Amino acid sequence: MRFERITDAIGNTPLVRIDPSVHGLRTIDLYAKLEMLNPFGSVKDRAAWNMVRPGLSAAADEDRTVIELSSGNTAKALAVLAGMHGVPFKTVTNRMRIPEIKDLLLLLGAEVEELPGQTECLDPTNTDDPLTAFHQTLTEPGSAYLYTDQYYNDRNTQAHVEGTGPEIVKDLDGRAPDWFIACVGTAGSSTGVARVLREHDPRVEVVGLVSHKADFVPGIRTIDEVQEVGLFDPGTYGTIASVTADEAIDGMLTLARRCGILAGPTSGAAYFGAVRHLRELDDGPAPGPDSDPDRPAGRRTAVFIVCDRIESYLGYVRQRRPELLGRPPQPNSVATVSDAEVRGAPDIGVEDARRWIEHDRPLVVDLRSPFAYTALHIAGSVNIVDELFGELVRGGLPFSKSRPVLLACPVGEQSAKYAALLARMGHPDVRSLRGGIIAWRDAGAPLVRE
Amino acid sequence: MDVPLYLEPRLESRLASLLRARTFLHTLAGGLGSPLNVVLPDRIAENLAAFRAVYRRHHLSGGIFFAHKANRSSALVRRLAATEAAVDVASLGELQHALGSGFVPDRIMATGPKNPEFLWLAARSGTTVNIDSPAELGQLAALVRDYGLPRLRILLRLSGFCAPGVRLLTRQSRFGTAEAELDGLLKSVERHRDAVELTGVGYHLDTTSPAEKAVALEGCVKALDTCRARGFTPRAVDIGGGFGTDYLADGAQWQRYTTELTNAALGTRPPMTWRRHTYGLRNENGTLRGALALYPAHRPTAGAQYLDTLLSLPAPSLGRPLATLLLENLYELHTEPGRALVDQCGVTLARVLEVRRTEATDRTEATDHTEPSDRREATDDRPEPSDRTDNADRAGTAGRTGPGHLLVRLDANADDIGLEEHGVLVDPVLVPRTAPGGAPDTGPVTCYLAGNLCLEADMITRRAVHLPSAPRPGDLLAFANTAGYCMDFSADEAQQQPVARKVAVWQDGPADDTGREDASWHWCLDEQYWPHVNRRTKGSA
Ligand SMILES: Cc1ncc(COP(=O)(O)O)c(C=O)c1O
Repeated sequence: MRFERITDAIGNTPLVRIDPSVHGLRTIDLYAKLEMLNPFGSVKDRAAWNMVRPGLSAAADEDRTVIELSSGNTAKALAVLAGMHGVPFKTVTNRMRIPEIKDLLLLLGAEVEELPGQTECLDPTNTDDPLTAFHQTLTEPGSAYLYTDQYYNDRNTQAHVEGTGPEIVKDLDGRAPDWFIACVGTAGSSTGVARVLREHDPRVEVVGLVSHKADFVPGIRTIDEVQEVGLFDPGTYGTIASVTADEAIDGMLTLARRCGILAGPTSGAAYFGAVRHLRELDDGPAPGPDSDPDRPAGRRTAVFIVCDRIESYLGYVRQRRPELLGRPPQPNSVATVSDAEVRGAPDIGVEDARRWIEHDRPLVVDLRSPFAYTALHIAGSVNIVDELFGELVRGGLPFSKSRPVLLACPVGEQSAKYAALLARMGHPDVRSLRGGIIAWRDAGAPLVRE
Repeated sequence: MDVPLYLEPRLESRLASLLRARTFLHTLAGGLGSPLNVVLPDRIAENLAAFRAVYRRHHLSGGIFFAHKANRSSALVRRLAATEAAVDVASLGELQHALGSGFVPDRIMATGPKNPEFLWLAARSGTTVNIDSPAELGQLAALVRDYGLPRLRILLRLSGFCAPGVRLLTRQSRFGTAEAELDGLLKSVERHRDAVELTGVGYHLDTTSPAEKAVALEGCVKALDTCRARGFTPRAVDIGGGFGTDYLADGAQWQRYTTELTNAALGTRPPMTWRRHTYGLRNENGTLRGALALYPAHRPTAGAQYLDTLLSLPAPSLGRPLATLLLENLYELHTEPGRALVDQCGVTLARVLEVRRTEATDRTEATDHTEPSDRREATDDRPEPSDRTDNADRAGTAGRTGPGHLLVRLDANADDIGLEEHGVLVDPVLVPRTAPGGAPDTGPVTCYLAGNLCLEADMITRRAVHLPSAPRPGDLLAFANTAGYCMDFSADEAQQQPVARKVAVWQDGPADDTGREDASWHWCLDEQYWPHVNRRTKGSA
């Protein structure tokens, strides 16, 4: 496959069968439409390119900025597309909840703006939603923006009417599947694909998946939030069901570990929702008299969308299911220091410490952050922030045993742990400053700012 | 049959025990009238302890300043004066009240924009002043000089913080000085060094978002560093209030309810509100627009726990947890919790005057359960056992004539019960006049709660409230957890209806566990309450 431009690589994604031994469905063939293999990593590449393409060159000539309301994949695709054409891109979001994506967008050169949270005290005059406020600023005369408007733009849906939908039909040998299952964010992919499939076979059942209301699944909306989407029409879906974050992660694990599909939680949600829905229908009736003679008797087909890739969601998983990323404790880590060891850690009070510094010149290590250290510290001390110090000691003692060491932190808690650890590692004369820098200050001992 | 759309209040042990004390509550309301505000001073001390525990967990010191604006009660403020708490006052009256309740100026901070009288008393008494604007600093310094007052401790309220990388937008505030103008402000502080001592900087943001507050908190730490570099010796970051309260017992009820509100706004279900009010939502060609103008009544992370979460967040640019950042820079933390500190500290009682079925003139809520009821027009508060069959007949008739609902008229008005005004949706608890079993159990009902003013708009709820059984004239409705802004914030004497009296109540010993018999309740008028007085000498019932 040879392309002149990366944008030509958008679309024509594989349709991959999920091994029946994984999903356990007996009479239904389940296929994954791998939108994650689009060049910028998600199903949004199609919509982003289709929405922004017509206006890009004019935007470059008129120094306009591409703008979108997106906290994830659409922003990512638009950032790349705008950047390739020398146009700035800005995204405004309602709380970007995936930190990796935030950093990635900055890396791609996007400007990111987050809208304020809900007020704590009700202001009854303030009833406009952020969306409406956003639309207003963009429709002001002389707006310097090219607004792609993914929640209302028909070109979003159209990208799937022309691409994703027909590809699925083609790969199923010209037939529509019996079920199509997709998560609903902007509703663009589910609406576009559903339209194509229904034209082929009006009997196709479309399942829309939303996030459980008290939960967050990246890229998709809750049952209430979808109502704010212009492209969303409840008539598109035969069934709308919700998926929790835990279920999405379970689905994601199955796809990754058992199917070799390294997809994100939204895809996990689609897989989970698909299997849950289909399991009920698995012993379905034999095909009726009007059924398609080409089909193997009794076998039916379902397709779900794999939206994006797994890499950005490690933090998401760590927050919700830390055990999945569990690492065994390392030998020289402070986490291995017991309470008893901490209690027995060698320490020294402020007055004695001052004399000790005077006479024996121990190495004074300040474990606070550089910001705090720079502001005020014990004269002559060195600053190794605790996280870094932890890394250092994991590899062995970072200083000679012949040199006494005084460890200092804000209240003497961290320093006691490290003193216990260093003593265990064989350092003969390490002490923790009792009460920490706070006790030092409260005793009137000098702190300097250099 | 659908389950009624309840929004049951979260009731912790003390408040739950109080609402079980049916005879006590009826005696109080009988003697003191409706509406009646009841406050639980012992609970505020418990809430304070929960905040302090979070400080301790993070090794932080500093003041917990009760934002007095949340409630005017003397009992609550006097009870706090007997603890280690401090108080945040936002008016001359609040300052006088705090001083008169036993707070020494060391434990008081004056916040918000101030008039000359308020500034004077703060300056004269030696109250710490949280400076809202450069002009205010000038006025204060002039007072100190002109009257030869001792040097006054001040903090600077800042706003408009910027984060690196991703730009976090924050709603514009009318209060405080923009962070970008700190330099100019510090120049004035330097000029007024003889009159004022800079002890810290702070913010108060009207947002539920911890991310925005993290930006502001880090901004304050950086601002303090600027102050230090210029030779000041500030010690504190004041992060204001806004820790929130969880009003509801069951998050699932809230989720179901708000989904139905969305559907009602879109017209895919019958309205759930008086005159199709939609709480800010609207339907634009089948798409939902507007914002739900409601307090997020279900907040799994609120109060002291919210503080804990905030302090555990990483500082946006320095990366350290915010608590660590404060600690290692040797700063104290001041907080100004209002709503969160009076969580579970109060209830507003209102007597039911009349219960009648309203005509279903508009397309009103379809009631999918049998709606029993009580169509007696006026205040006949003597239900006879024979009503039972009578009611059943009427319910049947109502069922045939189409859906309707009850209109419950209370002897209180919308300003007395500020829940609706503050966007807090939570069901009242029915406190029947007769013992359980004494009145026929009607089963669930849907009702609108109307006030005692001759004003169409005087609705205590604009939504249909679902109750497990029908109120009767003479019963009390108890609105739980009103102590934060929903008790006396805007109560007045419209139409010469009396403003609610306020009483303080307490039990001997700690709150009871469920299962144990509740300890009996004692009471006194709010203004009679002093924490040290032998409480047994005051009223009990
Ligand atoms: C300066 C200041 N501090 C504290 C508060 C109290 O906020 P809350 O009751 O949400 O804790 C307010 C509320 O308006 C305020 O303006």
